Amino acid sequence: MNESTPGKPRVKELMKKLTQDYYGDAARAHNEDRFVAYTTAVSPVELFVAHDVIPIYPENHSVMCITKRMTTRLSTAIEKKGYTTHLCAYARSDLGYRELGESPIGGLPDPDFLLACNAQCFTLTKWFEVLSRRYGAPLFVFDTPQYIRNKKARRNIIRYVEAEIYELITALENLTGKKFDYDRLREVLIYSRDACRLYKEFLDLAAHKPSPVNIFDALIHMAIIVYLRGTPQAVQYYQGLVDEIRREKVAQGIGVIPNERFRLYWENLPVWFKFREHANLLASYGAVILTSLYVHSWSYDFDVSDPIRTLAENYTSVFSNVELEERAERALDLFQRYDLNGNIMFLNRSCKAVTFGEHELREILTQRTGIPVLLFESDMGDPRFYSEVQVKTRLEAYFETLERLNV
Amino acid sequence: MENRIVRELSDIANNPYEMARRQRAASGQKIIGSTLADVPEELIHAAGLLPFTILGTNRPIRRASALLPDNACSLSRSDLELVLTYETDLFDGFVLPQVDDTTQHLSDIWRRKIPTSFFECYLIPRQVDRPSARQWLLDETNRLKASLEKFTDRKISNDELHKSIVLYNDNRRLLRKIYDLKRQDGDIIGNRAFFELIKSSMFLPEETHTRELRHLLPQLEKKAPSGANKGLRFVVAGIVWEPPAVMTILDELKINVVGDDLCTGTRHIANDVSTDGDPVAALVERHFKKGPFSPIHNRGNRIQENLVDLVRRYGADGILYLHLKFFESQDYDLPDLKQGMGEEGIPMYVLDTEYQTTHLAQVKTRVQAFAESIRGE
Ligand code: SF4
Repeated sequence: MNESTPGKPRVKELMKKLTQDYYGDAARAHNEDRFVAYTTAVSPVELFVAHDVIPIYPENHSVMCITKRMTTRLSTAIEKKGYTTHLCAYARSDLGYRELGESPIGGLPDPDFLLACNAQCFTLTKWFEVLSRRYGAPLFVFDTPQYIRNKKARRNIIRYVEAEIYELITALENLTGKKFDYDRLREVLIYSRDACRLYKEFLDLAAHKPSPVNIFDALIHMAIIVYLRGTPQAVQYYQGLVDEIRREKVAQGIGVIPNERFRLYWENLPVWFKFREHANLLASYGAVILTSLYVHSWSYDFDVSDPIRTLAENYTSVFSNVELEERAERALDLFQRYDLNGNIMFLNRSCKAVTFGEHELREILTQRTGIPVLLFESDMGDPRFYSEVQVKTRLEAYFETLERLNV
Repeated sequence: MENRIVRELSDIANNPYEMARRQRAASGQKIIGSTLADVPEELIHAAGLLPFTILGTNRPIRRASALLPDNACSLSRSDLELVLTYETDLFDGFVLPQVDDTTQHLSDIWRRKIPTSFFECYLIPRQVDRPSARQWLLDETNRLKASLEKFTDRKISNDELHKSIVLYNDNRRLLRKIYDLKRQDGDIIGNRAFFELIKSSMFLPEETHTRELRHLLPQLEKKAPSGANKGLRFVVAGIVWEPPAVMTILDELKINVVGDDLCTGTRHIANDVSTDGDPVAALVERHFKKGPFSPIHNRGNRIQENLVDLVRRYGADGILYLHLKFFESQDYDLPDLKQGMGEEGIPMYVLDTEYQTTHLAQVKTRVQAFAESIRGE
C-alpha cells in the first residue's frame, strides 16, 4: 500500500471526521436555534442545505442500529406496542429507538419538520406519519407518481413535482421565517452535481478487471453522498476516494480478491448485519459482488441550468419509481458495463418497494442475460428472519451451477 | 319475508361474474375492471364501457404467490389471483389505481402478465392537503380520459360525462338514504344485505342497479322502525369487509353497523360529483371531498378524527376495525389509533382478516367477546 499524500487525510479518516462533524452539528442544532428536518435518503435535500436546515436521515441511523445488532431488541420493544415484525426493519429500529432511547451514536435530535419522498418507498410516509404525530412536527409528503414510460404523463408528473418543490420552499420559509435564497440553491446544486458525478465514477471503478472495489465498499462510502449531498465536503471526499483507489489499486492492477472469477450483481438492499461475512464467504468462491441498482440510487445527474426542473426529474426517476422494464434496463446496463456473470437476487421482507416486483425482474434479467439467478428470501435488518444454513447451502449450490455452466 | 330485490342484489354481490358475462353478451359492451380505490367509474361509463370493480376472491391463492411475495396484502394477492386463475376471460381492459408500493408493483405485474387490449394505471396523488395534488389529479384524470377515448376510438363528450355523473350521483344518494334508514333501525335491512347493495353497485350496470334501488327504497321506507332492535351499534373501519361472513356474524349478534370508512362502503357512496361546470374537474373535486383513506396522506390525524366523529354522530358503542393481513398502511396506523381510541374512551376491537379466512367460528367468538365486553357482561 502507498503512503497517503502528505497533508491529505486518507479517505477513511476523512469519512470518520465528516460523520462526526455532521452528527455533532445535528446534536447542537437545537441549542444553536437551527432547524432539523427528518428526510428520506432519496429526497431533494438540496433545498434543506440551501436553506440552512439540518437534514437528518433516520434510515441512516437505523442502518447503524442494524449493523450494531440492536434491531431485534429495538423491534421487540415496539412489537409490544402492536407494531408487527413485517414492517421495514429501518422503521422498526427507529421506532424502537424512540421507545427505548438506545442508539449507537447517542440519539438523534428531534425533528422540527419531516419530509417523505415516496419515489423511494411508500413505507416512509407511514413511518414518518408516526413520528410526525409523536413530535407534533409537520410532515410534507413529497409525492412522486410512478415515472411511467408515457411522454404525456411524464410531462405532467414533472410539472406536479416542480409545483411540490415550490410548496416545499414555502413550507421551509414558514418554518424558519427566512426567505429562500435561489442563488444559494444553485450553488448547493453544483456541489451535489459534482459529488454525484464523482460518486458514480467511484461506483464505476467496479468495471475494471479485476475490480478494485466491491459493493461492500460502495455501501460504506455511499453514506456521504446520502447525508452530505450539496456540500463541498462531499465533493472533496469523493474526489479523494476516486484518486486513492485509482492510485493504490487500479494503477497496480490490484483487485478486491486475488483470483476474481465471478463478477456478481446484487439486487436489493444488502443484508446489513451480514454483509462483511457475505463478502468473505463469496471470496472463498472467487466471487465478488460488484454492484446493484440500489447503490446507484444517488448517481444523480443534475443540470444546474434549471434547478427546480432537475431536482424534480432526478428524484422522481430513481430506480424504485420507474416501471419494471425500465428498472431491468438499468440493471442490464450494469451487467453489460461491468461485465457481470452472476446474479444474486435478495427478496427483502423489509423493503416492499424494492422487492415486490422482483420475481418479474428476475424473469426479464434471466431472459436477457442467460445468467442463472440465486434468489433468496430474508430480511435486511432482522436476524430472526435470516438463516445462515440456508444462505450457505444456496450459495454453494449456486457456484456449482456457475462452475458447471463454465461461466 | 325476504325482499326479492335485496336477494337478487345479494346474489350478484356474491357471484357477479356470470351476470357480467351475460351483460356483456347482451349489450356488446366491453368490461373494464378496476381495483380499489377511487377510479372514477363515471368516466369509464361515459366512454360506453362497463366499469367493474375487482374485489378479490375468497378462493385459494395458487398462481399469485409466484409473482407477488407472500407478505403482500391479502387484497392485492386475491385480485391478482382472480384474473390469473378464476376470471381469465371476463375483462376487456383494466384501470389500476396506485396508492402505495404494493399497488405500484401490482400494476407492473398485471400489465405484464394479464393479456388484455387495454391497460392503464391511474396515479392518484398520495397527499391531498396541497394545491399541487388537485392539478395533478386533473392532469391524470384527463390522461385517463384520453386513453379511454383512444381505446374506444371516440370522444367522451361533456354531455355524456355529465349524464353519467347524474346517474352515479342518483345511485349514491339512494344508497345513502337506505343507510340512513338502517341507522334508525337495523331490522329494516341487515348489515350483510346493506353492504351487499353497495358491493353489487360496483359490479352491476349502474342503470340496472339504480332502477332496483328506486324500487327498493319505498319498500324499505314502509318498514317503520320497529324499535325492537336494541342491539349494539358499531362503526366498522378498514378497507374492505372481507371475508363477507364478518357482516353475517354482526347480523347474528344483532349488532347494527351505523357507520364505516370502508372502500366498499362509505368511501364508495359518500360525496356526489357537482353537476356544474367542467365534469372532469368536478370528478377531481369529489376526490378531495372524500373522507380519509389510510394510504393517502392528509395533514393531522384525520383517520382517527373521522372515526371518532362517526362514533359520536351515529351514537355507536364501539369500533370494529378490520385489519387486512399485510396491509402495511394499516399496520402503521393501528398502534396510535388504538391508543387514541383508548384516550377517547371508545372501545375498538381489531379483527385480523384476510380473503382466505377459514376460521369463521373463531371470528364470531372474538366479535362476540368484544360485544359482551362493551355491554359489561
Ligand atoms: S421500505 Fe425500503 S426504501 Fe423504504 S425505508 Fe424501508 S428499506 Fe428503505
